[in-house]
Amino acid sequence: MRVSRSGDAIVLEFADGESGVLRSLVDQYLEVVGGEAGTDPAHARLFPVAYRDDDTAAEEFSRYTRSGLIDRKAANAAQVSLALDEETVRLAPAEAVRWLPVLTDLRLVIADRLDIRADDDEVPDTPAGEVYTWLGHLQESILVLLEEP
Amino acid sequence: MSTGTTPSLTEETSSVVSPDLPWVTIVWNDPVNLMSYVSHVFRTYFGFPREEAERLMLLVHHEGRAVVATGPREEMERHTEAMHEYGLWATVAKAGDG
Repeated sequence: MRVSRSGDAIVLEFADGESGVLRSLVDQYLEVVGGEAGTDPAHARLFPVAYRDDDTAAEEFSRYTRSGLIDRKAANAAQVSLALDEETVRLAPAEAVRWLPVLTDLRLVIADRLDIRADDDEVPDTPAGEVYTWLGHLQESILVLLEEP
Repeated sequence: MSTGTTPSLTEETSSVVSPDLPWVTIVWNDPVNLMSYVSHVFRTYFGFPREEAERLMLLVHHEGRAVVATGPREEMERHTEAMHEYGLWATVAKAGDG
C-alpha cells in the first residue's frame, strides 16, 4: 500500500489483494452495523451505552439515535466500498475524511474479535492482527496527509 | 473546558443558584483509537484549537477519560451521538457525577 498526496487529493495505491481484503471487511462491517443489537458482541463497541448509571436513559438514547447512526455509518462504509472499485483510489479531502471513522469502526470490530480490551493488550501475530495494524497505518497515513499544508 | 466570558453579576443576583446542574459529555479511553485520530475528531467536530484538542486527547489517554463539553442535556446527547459516529466511546452524565 502506498498513500500519497496529489494536489489536494489523497491517493491510495493498494498492493495485490489489499483492496479485496478491505472490501470484504467493509461488507462484514455492514452486516454488524445493520444487525440486531446483541447478535454480535462487536455491536456494543460501535454503539456504546451512553449513560453508565441510568439504564432507562441509555435505552432512550439508543432508541432516538440508533437508526440515524446506522444510516450514517452505513453511508460512509458504502462510500469506501464504492471507491475500492478502482485499483488506485483518489480521494478529495472531504471524501478522505469520511474514510477515517470507517477505518476506526473496522478496527473496533476486529479488536473485539481479537480480545483487545486494554491499552496494554497485545495485537496477536495472526492475519487478523496484521490487518488490524494495517488499518491503523492506513488511517494514520490519511490523517498525516490531510493535515499537510 | 474553557467556558468563555463570565457574566457580570450584581450583588443581588450573585447568590441565585442555578436550578439545573449542567450536563457533560465524557470521552473514555479505548485501546483502539489512534491518538492522532482522537485529536483530529476534537479539532474538527468541536472546533478546538490544536493545543486544546491535544490536551484533551492526552487527558483521555492518561486519565482514562475527559470531559469534552458542558451544557444542557440535549446538547450533550447530540455531542455523544456525534462521538459514537466517529467511533469514540462517549457518555452523558450530570456534571459532578461523571
